Amino acid sequence: MSRFQFGRRLRSVWWRPPVETEVDDEMAFHLAMRVRDLVDSGMSEAEARQEALRRLGDPAELRRRLTRLGKARDHSMQRTEWWASLVQDLRQAVRSLRKQPGFTAAAALTLAVGVGATTAIFSVLYSVVLRPLPIPEPDRLVWISRTWEGRPGGTLSVGNYADLLAGQNTLASYTAGYSAPFILGSGEQPESVRGARVTSSFFTVLGVAPALGRVFAAAEDEPGAGSVVVLSHRLWTRRFGADPAVVGQSILLNAVPHIVLGVMPARFDFFENWDELWAPAGFSTRQAADYDGSYLFHVYGRLRPGATAEQTKAAMAPTVARLREQYPDFNSSLEVHVEPLMRAVLNNAVADRIWVLFGAVGLVLLIGCVNVANLLLARGVGRARELAVRAALGAGRGRIIRQLVTENLVLAALAGLLGLGVAHLGIKLILAGAPPNLARLDQAGLDLATATFAVAVAFGSVLLFGVLPAARVAAMGIASALRDGSRAVAGGGEWLRRGLVATEVGLALVLLVGAGLLIRTAIHLGRVDPGFDPGPVLSGRISLPRVGYESWERVTQTYTRISEELAQTPGIEAAALVSQVPMGPGGNTNGLIPEGRPIEGRSAIMARLRLVTPDYFDVMRIPLRSGRAFTDDDRIGTTRVMIVSEGFAREAWPGQDPIGKRVACCEQAPDHGPMWKEVIGVAGDVRTNGPAERAELEYYLPITQTPAGAWEWLGRTMTFVVRGPQAPAALGTAVRSAIATVDPAVPVFQIATMSERLERTGAEARFNTRLLSILGAIGLGLAIGGIYSVIAFFVNRRTRELGVRMALGASAADIRRLVLRQGLGPVVVGIGVGLVGSIALTRLLSGQLRGVSATDPITLAGVTLLLLLVAAAATVLPARRATRIDATVAMREE
Amino acid sequence: MSASPTEFLQGTLEVLILKTLSWGPRHGYGIAQWLEDRTDQALVIEEGSLYPALYRMERKGWIEAEWGTSELGRKAKFYALTPGGRTRLRADTAAWRAFSSAVARVLDPAESN
Repeated sequence: MSRFQFGRRLRSVWWRPPVETEVDDEMAFHLAMRVRDLVDSGMSEAEARQEALRRLGDPAELRRRLTRLGKARDHSMQRTEWWASLVQDLRQAVRSLRKQPGFTAAAALTLAVGVGATTAIFSVLYSVVLRPLPIPEPDRLVWISRTWEGRPGGTLSVGNYADLLAGQNTLASYTAGYSAPFILGSGEQPESVRGARVTSSFFTVLGVAPALGRVFAAAEDEPGAGSVVVLSHRLWTRRFGADPAVVGQSILLNAVPHIVLGVMPARFDFFENWDELWAPAGFSTRQAADYDGSYLFHVYGRLRPGATAEQTKAAMAPTVARLREQYPDFNSSLEVHVEPLMRAVLNNAVADRIWVLFGAVGLVLLIGCVNVANLLLARGVGRARELAVRAALGAGRGRIIRQLVTENLVLAALAGLLGLGVAHLGIKLILAGAPPNLARLDQAGLDLATATFAVAVAFGSVLLFGVLPAARVAAMGIASALRDGSRAVAGGGEWLRRGLVATEVGLALVLLVGAGLLIRTAIHLGRVDPGFDPGPVLSGRISLPRVGYESWERVTQTYTRISEELAQTPGIEAAALVSQVPMGPGGNTNGLIPEGRPIEGRSAIMARLRLVTPDYFDVMRIPLRSGRAFTDDDRIGTTRVMIVSEGFAREAWPGQDPIGKRVACCEQAPDHGPMWKEVIGVAGDVRTNGPAERAELEYYLPITQTPAGAWEWLGRTMTFVVRGPQAPAALGTAVRSAIATVDPAVPVFQIATMSERLERTGAEARFNTRLLSILGAIGLGLAIGGIYSVIAFFVNRRTRELGVRMALGASAADIRRLVLRQGLGPVVVGIGVGLVGSIALTRLLSGQLRGVSATDPITLAGVTLLLLLVAAAATVLPARRATRIDATVAMREE
Repeated sequence: MSASPTEFLQGTLEVLILKTLSWGPRHGYGIAQWLEDRTDQALVIEEGSLYPALYRMERKGWIEAEWGTSELGRKAKFYALTPGGRTRLRADTAAWRAFSSAVARVLDPAESN
């Protein structure tokens, strides 16, 4: 199309003569004609002019009206024209895509896999990490905690809570509470439910109203007020069949009737282990004056608009200073930390892992896009003639690019649609294989947010990766296609195609290195000694109610009896009780001061308490490194004893024999001085948080010497461990009936074998490893496809050249070498770039790696080798085809 | 037909214009002239309505306009029927025939069987 034609075409659309001129000209013509006819019929010129104007009515008004109508007309015509050309382009695009179903299917499916996988991971990211909690203005929530050993997160006493929050002016509301097991119901099916005792302001602070009924009022949060309870949606559904009539009814909690006031909405179940019911804390004046060791309370507040956590902390500083002075026994080292609650509760480790996965799936998408760009380029070469003909027939460069882009858009729509299907499947697979305790994951799915994301990704990637090939194809096609056939484009696009192959090999390498490192970690973790023998050991929790077990002595006696009863049960080889089993819930941590250090908070070593019956070490097969185990002779009245873990011994007495050393902990002597306990043994370290985590410092106390107050810390709950000769799961019934002989009202819950607990701690990491491996495999597959298609294309385009070479005496081996060199060149470049990239990127994984470094040479070498082999394999077919080229036929082509 | 009187008249004018143009392209003045001649001046076309009707019909795509040279050598805007306009004319003509014969039957019952 010449510039002149092009200009005229544009003007016809955009630069029509102004409507005003058009109207004026038309009116002038009309008047002139009328005047002429009137003059012909005998009027004078002046009379005729007057008559003609009269017939028009009000000429000024008519002119205005016509101008308006004319503008509306032009506008609608432009729109029609635009739509018509779009429909034409779309029809053309669909036709041309259907003409090459192979290309269309390959490109759309490749993109669909990329888009679908990305969307599936995005939905996980969105539901677990990005979706805001259903709390109004969550940024205003703060967590006020005690700093222990420089680490915030410690709980506060009621006295400290009352004093710290009285008179502060940065918080609009605040609440204190603690979680505890509640025994729900009685008779056949008593159940232990995790609940919380909270102040009545709890619901105000969180800002969530009940779905049914009401929450408790301040008057109901007084000591001695009637017993009331608010249920979570989960508990209400599970235990009460979502019956609205339960509101107002009385239920048995810890053997005391409680009136159900209301039910919270389902969205209030933020976390998997969130409390299932809330009862008033009912702090008494005595408790409010309690500044001593019962640091049980979590304190939360809602900031006034505009206030910050730092301001709250500053406002509390004078009170903290006063409390230190006033109560030197308990508060001498009091430090208070205030931080945004959301930052504290959102699991950052999980969020980080999901972000890494999202990054990885982004790489898969990029590889897919590179493949599609490659396909578009190759296809453009094949179409060079068609495009050249169109150019010759007058289609401008812009018009051709527009057509190519329209084709890309149709492709994107197709890929987006298929991608949604892939995403749907992917989300299903993820949910099926996901670890059970990943909070909020169950909300992942194809909703508006994820569908929008999928569509945006599909169009975004096609536009981004389709424009370059389109521009290149259009330019080459127009300039030289008619003259040179298609080879000019083939030659010109070579660097681009090789660059694309190198890119995708690099991306695949990064992905595979990441997956490889996680796999090596999994192998390593499989070999880690957890410090105990999970063997055929069954564990489960037992909780004693307050009613009937008021005194601590009675709790201790009952647990001792249960332990004896279990040990005598047929089918059970050995039985013991422990306050918290490794990888199990519950438990408590205390500050221990080894003798010789000053008696103050700063000298304390934090260690996890295991209150045990004597046979615990036998049942769990935890080795004693030195000293002796507990016996029945360690009771009240004899020397108070403890066993410490190896790690604790190293920390407290480096290089010394810990046996016989004394440690102050957990309680006060009658004279308010420290209560000393003597170390009688050293136990092997136990990886209590799973094989992936380092062993914690631990200490063991015999249940017969339970410290005062310990039953409160532990919620009167113990965990049984029984070892049987056969499958441990089968022991459940025997355990239940043995415990029922002591008291049938005691709930037994959270039963699991130790192997299951071990399995569960690694579940999320394993799931993560599996997902990254799948992504790596998809990336590798896409890269192989890319390498193959480029080599095949090369052989196809160079048929004549290869034929000539063979005619001149090149052997089949020579040809094979040529093709292999052609293919492996960009692969080697890509591997080089990928190695540099993965050394930079795998650092993001280092938090998840165990027993292997982020730059593990074995993984890097293995992945490199794998890619080289796979790339070589991808060249085999095209190479074979190349060696079979018939020279004479090839020469005749084109 | 539930059209208001003005719409009714507008529709009448439009079908007359379509009919006029079915013999070939004409400028606005030519359309007015032709209609006056055909109806022996019985129908005086309001020029204040003629041109707005033409613009509206152009927008609807029934007619299209092009600048050309008139019989006197002056630049004039000629209107021509589009295929859409031709379809419209056929439909409107049929509707008019049905309408007028119905009216005739009422006004002059003797003439009908």
